[in-house]
Amino acid sequence: MSNHLHQAAVIARRDFIATVATPAFLMFLLAPLFMLIFAMVGGTGARMIADSGDDAQRLVVIADADYGTYIEAADERIRATFPLGIAPAELERREPQGGDPEQQARALFTESSIDVSAVLFGFPDTPRIIYGSGARGADYLALLADTAARDRQGGTPPGETVVEIERESYARTSATIGGQQSLGFAALFLLFLLTLLLAGQTVSVLAEEKGNKVIEILAAAVPLEAVFLGKLVGLFGVALLFVAFWGTLAVLAVMALPGSGAALTMLDPAIGFVPFLALAIAYFAMGYLLLGSVFLAVGGQASSMREIQMLSLPITFFQMAMFGLASAAAARPGSSLALFAELFPFSSPFAMVAKGASDPRLWPHLAAIAWQLLWVSITISLGARWFRKGVLKSGPSVFARIGALFRGKLA
Amino acid sequence: MTVEPALSATALVKNFGSKRAVNGVDISVPRGSIYGILGPNGAGKTTTLRMLLGIIDPDSGDRELLGTTRPRTASNRIGYLPEERGLYPGMKAREAIAFMGALRGLPWAEGRSRADLLLADAGLGHAANDKIKKLSKGMAQFVQLLGSIVHRPELIVLDEPFSGLDPVNQERLEALILAERDRGATILFSTHVMGHAERLCDRLAIIASGRLRYEGSVGEARATMPMQAHYTPRDNGEALAALLPADAVRENGGYVFNVPDSGMEALLAMLLESGHGIAGLSLERPSLHDVFVKLVGEETVERMESEAEEAA
Repeated sequence: MSNHLHQAAVIARRDFIATVATPAFLMFLLAPLFMLIFAMVGGTGARMIADSGDDAQRLVVIADADYGTYIEAADERIRATFPLGIAPAELERREPQGGDPEQQARALFTESSIDVSAVLFGFPDTPRIIYGSGARGADYLALLADTAARDRQGGTPPGETVVEIERESYARTSATIGGQQSLGFAALFLLFLLTLLLAGQTVSVLAEEKGNKVIEILAAAVPLEAVFLGKLVGLFGVALLFVAFWGTLAVLAVMALPGSGAALTMLDPAIGFVPFLALAIAYFAMGYLLLGSVFLAVGGQASSMREIQMLSLPITFFQMAMFGLASAAAARPGSSLALFAELFPFSSPFAMVAKGASDPRLWPHLAAIAWQLLWVSITISLGARWFRKGVLKSGPSVFARIGALFRGKLA
Repeated sequence: MTVEPALSATALVKNFGSKRAVNGVDISVPRGSIYGILGPNGAGKTTTLRMLLGIIDPDSGDRELLGTTRPRTASNRIGYLPEERGLYPGMKAREAIAFMGALRGLPWAEGRSRADLLLADAGLGHAANDKIKKLSKGMAQFVQLLGSIVHRPELIVLDEPFSGLDPVNQERLEALILAERDRGATILFSTHVMGHAERLCDRLAIIASGRLRYEGSVGEARATMPMQAHYTPRDNGEALAALLPADAVRENGGYVFNVPDSGMEALLAMLLESGHGIAGLSLERPSLHDVFVKLVGEETVERMESEAEEAA
């Protein structure tokens, strides 16, 4: 056994070095940087276009200065309660031009300098609102008109409050249930993303060995199970290097942000922050090894790069299915679906990491990791047998075995 | 006391689909010997070697290798050069040798230092730090061969080791095989070139169409065919042909025929009495090549007849 582990380590070492000590690895390592740059450039462009459109959006009130002051004061108070980015369009007051105010309001929709989404006129006696596409602006104007009318009727001067309310900030010492579930889902998504990006590489690794004929050397010297394990561990080492590099950068970036310490205290998984972090790493390893061993086994059967490319689609679907199952489980903790996702070996790491955020018990995780390790070894063993049978053509065929069994029974 | 063989197999059978690649092969390789497996392409040599090493399992039959029926458990005591040469192109020569040693349990550092020595002995010391992809095909093949012996195995299995090597490297390889035998290793190699087998092998097996046609020493193999007489008469009269054995054929003004079971004495006396005389006479032991062609030729005829029957 220890000899086989030593042999697996030799193969893992070779694969790790052969992958890391290449210029291509640098490209691989920095690939997220390119993604970030493209996302930033694209996002900035899209935001600029969206902002330029938003800047032109207007809600208009046709009212004289006396009445308009009430509306503007109400707008100032209510607008302040909207989170950044989702506030209604900017409010603009226009003096009544005399004549029919409805005509003036309708004419505003044809102005080329601004995009009018809703117009309020006739305040305070007969207020009316005309709006374009989407009623959200009209709803907001209605709220302003109602608030302004109440202030005016109650004799409250514009901008003043009726009662002073004392406010006190309360610092929570524990995360909310929703916060823990969000953290669990975020961890699940991160794990899925990492395995999607990294575990898929294992699919082509045996094709390389078949191409350069080294598989015969390996198969002669080492049990195929050790070859599979070595390949898997070697590539997992590469993945771990990738995660460690970007993980360190991410932690440094977060710590450099002002107020990050307080924000981090909000990340309060039920099992504790450090155990949760350790579990996330363990489940990443398990997820990678489980899915990687499946991909390795499937890829080992491919005889050309074209076949491997064709395999990448079902492999991605398989990963998506596991993610979907685990996500559904995370949304319904304690349900039978959640239990199934936690027990099904290939979704278990994802489902269990989410569980760690909301369940304080440690033993289910220890049991789950042992269960997943068992399945890693089962998958590797089955993959090696499949390779031996399907590619190396070792031993009698299944039909020959059945025939021999049948003959034995008859005899 | 009998010394158990380094490797033995009984009634090995292997089918690939409906094709029987190996059909009941028996082999016994004595310890410390050089053993050759001869056969034409597609005879089943490689499949036999792969079964013996445990790379694939036979459909039926038994095998024992270095005292175990599970070849895998002895893998650290075995060196193997496969027919299809394979190395990582990005690896340096000495690293490739050390890697192959490490797979067989040799520590990396020890593997590297042995690799340097082996490369130097093989005249490839200058290429120790060259990547495999920079080496010629023959050099790369030699590097792989050194990788298969770097851990000083008890049993060395070489599948067609001479193919792809130039005459100089073939000579080097022959010397290397003899040196490994002198070290105490058992060497088993396959080839379809008779010269190497004849010069190197203590014993050999001839396989054709998946069947063992012969197993024994080179001398015994040659003894399976009668000696040939090359006779040149002084008087080449018409009556001479009637005196000679029925298989005599004319060749370069003389006759070639198998020495009769009864020996040459009576025939020579008759030739002298009849006045044909003896201008030249030589007796030659058939070569391994003759034995091989005889065995493989028969097999080929059988196969052709069988195919003809199937077609009919």
